[in-house]
Amino acid sequence: MSLRFQRLILILLTLTILGAALSLILLNTKKNIVFFYTPSELLENNISLNKKVRIGGYVKKTSFIEQSLNSYEFKITDNDNDLLIFYSGMLPDLFREGQGTVVEGYLDKNKNIVATKVYAKHDENYMPASIKKELEKNNQWKKKYK
Amino acid sequence: MTSLIGFSALSLSALLSFVILIPNSILKIKVKYFLIICRCSTLLVCASFISLIYAYITSDFSNYNVFQNSHSDKPLIYKITGAWGNHEGSILLWICMISIYGFFYSFLSKALENFKRTVLKIQSGIFIIFALFVIFTSNPFLVNSVYVEEGLGLNPILQDPSLAIHPPMLYLGYVGFSLVFSLAIASLLKDNFDQAWILETRKWSIISWGFLTAGIALGSYWAYYELGWGGWWFWDPVENISLMPWIAGLALVHSLLLVRGEQVIEKWIVFLAILCFSLSILGTFLVRSGILTSVHSFAADASRGLFILLIFFITTGFGFLVFLIKSPTKKNDLQLLLINKTSALIINNILMMIAVLTILLGTIYPIIIEVLTNTRISVGGPYFNSTVLPILLPGFLLMSIAPILSWQTNRIRKFRIYVIFFLILSLLISLQSYLTSFNTWGFIGLLLGTWIILGSLISIILRFKFSPSLNYIKTINSFVAHIGVGIMIIGITYSSIFQKEYIYNMKIGEEVNFENQKLKFNDIKIFEEKNFQSLKAVFSLEKKGRFINYIEPGKNYYPVSKMITTEAGIHHDWLRDIYIVLGSENNNLWFIKVYINPLVSFIWVGVLIMIFSTIIAVLKK
Repeated sequence: MSLRFQRLILILLTLTILGAALSLILLNTKKNIVFFYTPSELLENNISLNKKVRIGGYVKKTSFIEQSLNSYEFKITDNDNDLLIFYSGMLPDLFREGQGTVVEGYLDKNKNIVATKVYAKHDENYMPASIKKELEKNNQWKKKYK
Repeated sequence: MTSLIGFSALSLSALLSFVILIPNSILKIKVKYFLIICRCSTLLVCASFISLIYAYITSDFSNYNVFQNSHSDKPLIYKITGAWGNHEGSILLWICMISIYGFFYSFLSKALENFKRTVLKIQSGIFIIFALFVIFTSNPFLVNSVYVEEGLGLNPILQDPSLAIHPPMLYLGYVGFSLVFSLAIASLLKDNFDQAWILETRKWSIISWGFLTAGIALGSYWAYYELGWGGWWFWDPVENISLMPWIAGLALVHSLLLVRGEQVIEKWIVFLAILCFSLSILGTFLVRSGILTSVHSFAADASRGLFILLIFFITTGFGFLVFLIKSPTKKNDLQLLLINKTSALIINNILMMIAVLTILLGTIYPIIIEVLTNTRISVGGPYFNSTVLPILLPGFLLMSIAPILSWQTNRIRKFRIYVIFFLILSLLISLQSYLTSFNTWGFIGLLLGTWIILGSLISIILRFKFSPSLNYIKTINSFVAHIGVGIMIIGITYSSIFQKEYIYNMKIGEEVNFENQKLKFNDIKIFEEKNFQSLKAVFSLEKKGRFINYIEPGKNYYPVSKMITTEAGIHHDWLRDIYIVLGSENNNLWFIKVYINPLVSFIWVGVLIMIFSTIIAVLKK
C-alpha cells in the first residue's frame, strides 16, 4: 500500500466516524428531548397522550393528599390553571405545598399527569429560570431569587 | 476591618498586575524586579483570600458575604469551606489560583527570560480581567449596612467533607488551563516551539488535568452518597461542562505525546490549549449566569452573566485571533500510516473533539431552542448515553491496541501473542455473559475494560524488565494509567447496567430477604448534633446467618436554614455497594429503597490509579 493510499483510507475512516456521530446526534435530539410546560401552556397545546413532558409550577396549597404510603396526588399551579398530578415513589426532601417543583411524566386522557419523577431543587429559593420568567408574567414571583 | 484589608489587598494586587502589563519599552525594569512585582501581586491576592477566610472563621457578620453564607453554630471546617461555598468567595478563590499558577511558573520555569516575561504578562492579563469581575460584580468584601448578630447559614447540602475540597480541586484544574493558555499564546507571539516549551506545556497540562480529574471524581462521589438518587453521574449541565475541558485536556495531554515520536503538531497543540481554557470559562459562564438550571447555580444575576460572557469573548477571541494571525508555519509532515501510533492518536483526538461537541450541543441545545422557538425543552441522560458513549467506543478500542503500535511503521509488535490472548479473553467474557444475564452494552463494556487491562499488562511484561524502582514505574506509567481507565470502564458498565432496585415498606423489627442476604430493620435513632438534628434508621445486614455490617441511612434537619437532607446509608464492598435510602413514614411503616450497585468501587479505584499516574507523569522528566 502506498503512503498516499493509507492516508486516504484514514481520512475516509475519519469522515465515516464523523458522519456516524452526526447522525447519532441528530437522531437523539429528535428522540430524547423532553418538552417543558407550565400548566396553562400544557392545556393550550395539544399534547399527545404518551409523550413525556415536564411540568413546572408551584405545588398548590391544600391540594396535597397522601393516598397511601408513597402514593400521592397533588396539584401544580401557575395561578391561572391547575393540573392534577399522580405520583408514587419517594418525594424529595424539599417538596412541600407552596414550593416550586418540576414533575416529569405522561399525560393521561383526563388531562392529568402521571408523574415518573418529581424534582424539588436543593435551595429553597431555587426555581428554574424558565419557570421564574413565566411566574413573573402573572405576578406570582414574590421571593427574591438569590 | 477584615473586609477593608481584604479589599485593599485585592485592589493593590490588580494594580500591580497592571504595572506588569506595561510594555518593556516604556517601563524599563530588570527581570528581577519584574518577577518581584509579579510575586507580590500573588501574595496580595492570597492575603485577600485569607482575610475572607478569617472573616468566616471569626463569624464576622459585618461582612455581607459572611452574613449571607455562614452561621456561628457551624463546625470550624465548614466555616472555612463556607468561604468558597458561594459565588463571590469561589470567584475570589478562582483568581487567587490564576495568580498562584503564575507564581509557581515564575519559580519553576527554565525558559528564557524574555519568553517567561511574555507568559507572565498574559497570565496577569487574565488575572486582571477576572479581578475586575470580582471587584465590580461579585465583591465578597461588601460591608453589611445594618448590624446583625447571626448569619443566614450555609446550604446544608454543602456541609460535607468531600464537597469541602471539591471546589478547590476543580478550580485548580480549570484554572491550570489558564497557564497552558498563556504558554500557548506566548509561544505564538514569540514563535517559539522548542522542546523546552513542549515539555513545560506537557507538565502544566498534566497537572491541570490531574486536578480536574480529582475534582470531578470528588463531586461525583459526593453526589453518590449525598443526593440519595442511587447513582453517581446524572448528566446535569454542571457535570457536562466539567467533562468538556476534561476531555479536551485529555486530547491535549495525548497530543503532546507525539513529541516522543519526534513529530510535533504545534498548531493542534496550541489550538487545544486555547480550547481547554475557553471551555473552562464557558463552563463558568453557563453555570454562574443561571442560564442553565442545575443544582449548582448560585447566581442568576444578569449583569454577572453578561460580564462572564464578555470575559469569555475577550479571552477566547484574543486567543483564537492570535492563533489565526500568528499560526505556526513550520511544515511538519506527520507520519500518518494506516495503523501506527500517530494515526491512532490523531483519530483518538478527533473522537474526543466530537465527544466534546456532542456534550456541548446537548448542554446548550435547550438555550438555542428557547431563543429560536420560545419552547422549553430539557435534554437528559438518555441523549448523552446514546450519543457520547457510542462515539467514545472506537476510542477505547484504539486505546486498547495503542501500546502495541509502532511510531514509524505499520508493523505490530508481537502481534500473535495479543491476538491469542484477545481470543481467549473474548471467549471467557462471552461465556461469563452467557451464564449470567446477557446485555449488549454490558458485554461490550466488560470486554473493552478487561482487554485494556490485559493488553497493558502483557505490554508491561513483554517490553520492560521488572525492577522494583521508581524508574520502572516511570517507564510503565502510561500503561498504568490505561489500566486505571480499564478498571473504571468495568466499574461504570456494571454499576450503571446491572444496578438493581428494591422497594420495601418496613416496620421496626421486620426483615427482608434479597439475593441471599437478610436485611433487618433494628431501630430508629435520633441524635442532636452541633448544628443539625439527625434521624437514623439502623439496619443490620446478614449473609447466611453471619452478621456483616450495620447500614444507617437517615435524614438530617438543619434548623437554621429549615432544610432536610437525605443521607444514604451505604455498605461498601469491593464487589458491590448496598445503598439504602430512607423515605417517608406513615403509621410506623417506613418506606425504604435499596439499591444494589455492583462494582462501584472499581470506578473510584480506577480514578485513584489515574491520579497516581498523573503524579508520576509530573515527576517524570
